[in-house]
Amino acid sequence: MTLNAIRLRLRALFDRAGAEGDLDEELRYHLEREAELYVRQGLSPEEAYRRARLAFGSVEATKETYRDQRGTRGFEDFVGDVRYALRTLWRDRALTVAGVVTLALGIGATTAVFSAVNAVMLRQLPFAEPGRLVELWEENPDRGWYKNVVAPANYMDWSEQANAFAGMAAYTDWLSNVTLVGQGEPQILVATVVTGNFLSVLGVRPLYGRGFTDADTWDEGQRPAMISHRVWQTSFRGDSSVIGRSFSLGGRPRQIVGVMPKDFAFPTPSTDLWLPTLFSRDDRVRASFRRAHWLRVVARLKPGVSRDAANASLQTVVKRLQAQYPEFNTRMGAGITPLHEFIVGDTKRPLLVLLAAAAVLLLIACANVGNLLLVHALSRGRDVSLRFALGATRSRVARQALTESLVLSTAGGLLGFALGWAGARALLAMQPTGMLPINDISIDYRILAFAILITTLSGIVFGISPAVIATRQSPAQALNAGGRTFTGGRVRRWGRHLVLAEVALAVTLTVGAGLLLRSYERLSKVEPGFDSQGVLTASLALPGARYDSGTKVTSFYTQLVRRLNEIPGVERAAAVRQLPVTVNAWSSDISVEGRGTDGVITEVLHREIMGDYFRTMRVPLLRGRSFTDADVANAPLVVVINETLAKQQFSNEDPIGKRISFDRVPDSTSFWRTIVGVVGAEHQGGLAIPARPEVFAPMAQDWTRGMALVLRAAPGRDPLSLIGPLRQSVRDLDSLLALSSVRPMSGVHAEAMSRERFTSLLVLVFALTGIVLAVVGVFGVLAQLVQTREREMGIRMALGAQQAQVRWLVVRHGMSLLVGGIAIGLLTALGATRVLATLLYEVEPTDALTYAVVGMLIATIGLLAAWWPARRASAADPALTLRAE
Amino acid sequence: MKDAPSDVLRGTLDLLVLKTLTLEPMHGWGISQRIQQHSRSVLDVNQGSLYPALQRLEQKGWIDSEWRASDNNRRAKYYRLTSKGKRALGTETETWRRYVTAVEDILAVT
Repeated sequence: MTLNAIRLRLRALFDRAGAEGDLDEELRYHLEREAELYVRQGLSPEEAYRRARLAFGSVEATKETYRDQRGTRGFEDFVGDVRYALRTLWRDRALTVAGVVTLALGIGATTAVFSAVNAVMLRQLPFAEPGRLVELWEENPDRGWYKNVVAPANYMDWSEQANAFAGMAAYTDWLSNVTLVGQGEPQILVATVVTGNFLSVLGVRPLYGRGFTDADTWDEGQRPAMISHRVWQTSFRGDSSVIGRSFSLGGRPRQIVGVMPKDFAFPTPSTDLWLPTLFSRDDRVRASFRRAHWLRVVARLKPGVSRDAANASLQTVVKRLQAQYPEFNTRMGAGITPLHEFIVGDTKRPLLVLLAAAAVLLLIACANVGNLLLVHALSRGRDVSLRFALGATRSRVARQALTESLVLSTAGGLLGFALGWAGARALLAMQPTGMLPINDISIDYRILAFAILITTLSGIVFGISPAVIATRQSPAQALNAGGRTFTGGRVRRWGRHLVLAEVALAVTLTVGAGLLLRSYERLSKVEPGFDSQGVLTASLALPGARYDSGTKVTSFYTQLVRRLNEIPGVERAAAVRQLPVTVNAWSSDISVEGRGTDGVITEVLHREIMGDYFRTMRVPLLRGRSFTDADVANAPLVVVINETLAKQQFSNEDPIGKRISFDRVPDSTSFWRTIVGVVGAEHQGGLAIPARPEVFAPMAQDWTRGMALVLRAAPGRDPLSLIGPLRQSVRDLDSLLALSSVRPMSGVHAEAMSRERFTSLLVLVFALTGIVLAVVGVFGVLAQLVQTREREMGIRMALGAQQAQVRWLVVRHGMSLLVGGIAIGLLTALGATRVLATLLYEVEPTDALTYAVVGMLIATIGLLAAWWPARRASAADPALTLRAE
Repeated sequence: MKDAPSDVLRGTLDLLVLKTLTLEPMHGWGISQRIQQHSRSVLDVNQGSLYPALQRLEQKGWIDSEWRASDNNRRAKYYRLTSKGKRALGTETETWRRYVTAVEDILAVT
């Protein structure tokens, strides 16, 4: 094609009127000159012009050839179709809006949720050959341990003796707070402790600087640290000269040796700081090194070694250790999980539920688009017949209808993309802390394309083709019938099936949402064992470097709690090692004095407290006493136990005065602690987890550096107003300390339910959307029914039918759709909601109340939707409808 | 009235239009008149088919067009031969001559 041809073609496209006008003028000029010739020969002007036209031939044929030669025919037809489609869609605005919104919701929801699922579950971990990475864990059936943390000594033995692994690293998944001093205000960084080979096992290189070396596993006097990309950006302003410099981290100078890549989110996305384990060489032989379990272990399989083979090699070592260390390892097993599966863990099920909900919504959207287009096509039946009568080919009419659905899909797709994009970001922003182990969600364009494609296709398959097939009749017949008979029963039945499916799906989805909501409600009614209202909490960690003795630590917290109690507006304040509903597994075995080996109680939680924690949190004191200022380090050792432990172990006797030891096999060196009180049980690990047996010790007798502070505000005081005085009190004692997680206890309580709330609300949103779409479907079918049977209604009323009877006719029709859809939906739900079972708290997937309420709800909404068309039907003026004949 | 005007052979119209335009820029009607006169009305260009031919030639870049005032002071679209068109005319003429010679040779033999 020459440049000229392109220029002319472009002109034809963009200045069609101009190009046509030019041609007209050129031809007119020709005819006039020709006619003048004949006039000069003596003919009358009329005759001359006739002759000129004769000589020219068909002007229209010339123009057509001319237009064809422009080579823009197909495009012009398409533009024409699009214009026509826009006009028809505009005329049927309500339907167009319904269609576009339907498409956008279906496409947007699916895209957002699937993108999140993809980011969490399907995306490869950003490590080298992630398929070869596995997580190793310990289990102990006696203690109910499964996928448990590993004792450091066991890890080291595995690492040295199991030969299936190319490398094995350990890290902590309980994150500690480390204070960074010297970069502005003291800041709390979330730290994890890792072995020196951590990065080399994962196959990750730092963005800048270096990782740890194997030597860093052991304390050789070096104190290196690696920081996250985020901390590097925010605290160090992205300054690369930070590498190699030392900063005060956790009260000690540590040298920053590396900055991690941005997408490195292991073990969690909130990790800011990686510190080496720095074990002491002496640790290796200590009993505690094998007794205390606190490490997570990640390993890389040797090339070509299967997971089964690796497991076999691990089991050999485990057996050997069981025999070698009977006092610790008798019942200690171990297992292997692919790292990816381990990370996704319990996020998987809620995400799959969300995905299922989004998929159902997409299905509803498909059915709805089909139904809307069907209604639209049927209402234009006469139009179509007319076009057939005027000679349009079937393919031309079909193409026109297709164009319409494409225009609709494009609009819906664009809006859906926007919704999906916003939705994915909202998911990430609103997710409960730590639910999604990622820090970015990118839109999955494959799923976007898929969603657009499937909605478009279903519009065509369910909506347009039946309508076009229905027009397979002679135009005369259709025109004669005045567009009535043409809405053949078969096509209408098809539309009803679509709506039936929509209602059924919406019911299923709503039942799912209902069950999750009921479960959430149950959870929120769980008595946690404390009163979270009016309490402010904060976390504090004392750096071991400066607080290197129990005396220093105890003295600090004693003074702090005393100061906190003196703050005006504070009713009472105390400290506890971990807040209730957030406790994660600090358990030990205890033995009761005088019971021998029968007296061993396994898996007892223990927490240390400073001040009157129980009264501050309003945990009831059931028997005996709480701790007092007299329970100091050198006073007789005392403990308070919770009701659960009292009931479990001392059901027939008074626990007060009994003595227990934290040693499993007490000997002459064991410390015996006297039970002085029994308090009500708090839910320690979470709301859905029942209270476990627990022992409290006064901090003066069992010290620890990291504590949570709890301050109960005086009646009428906002606990948040205590933040300032709280920070001041800490600063007055030690200006290099920083508080973290400063928040009201009610927030902690709410967060313990946040996953459930998140999942149930999201499914609820999907369900409500589904209901709206289904109702639009019911409405569409009924409106269509009323429109095509307006004449019948008119005649009925002319023959004396009451308005109520005509209305009933329509409502009855709507009810048949609803009742059928609801019945199918409830039955489907019975089967489908079983997947929810593990997510539900104290609610059966077959919960009758939920099913009944959902059924009634949708029936009511559906009937309301039927009301408007019914009124319209009964408002038909018999005289008018009959005259229209 | 013209006697039995023969149709211009398909494809030769382009050649005639190009040749006509070597004299001076002309509008459509002028071209048709000129072809008719020079062929002493033997070749009666089907006037309607002239315009698609002009469009074709313009798309090929062999001719150019512009609107200007005509001899009787009205707006008309004038076509002008481009240099590319001049070259094309040469080869087209050559092709035509060979064609005619070939046909005549055949006629002479039989």
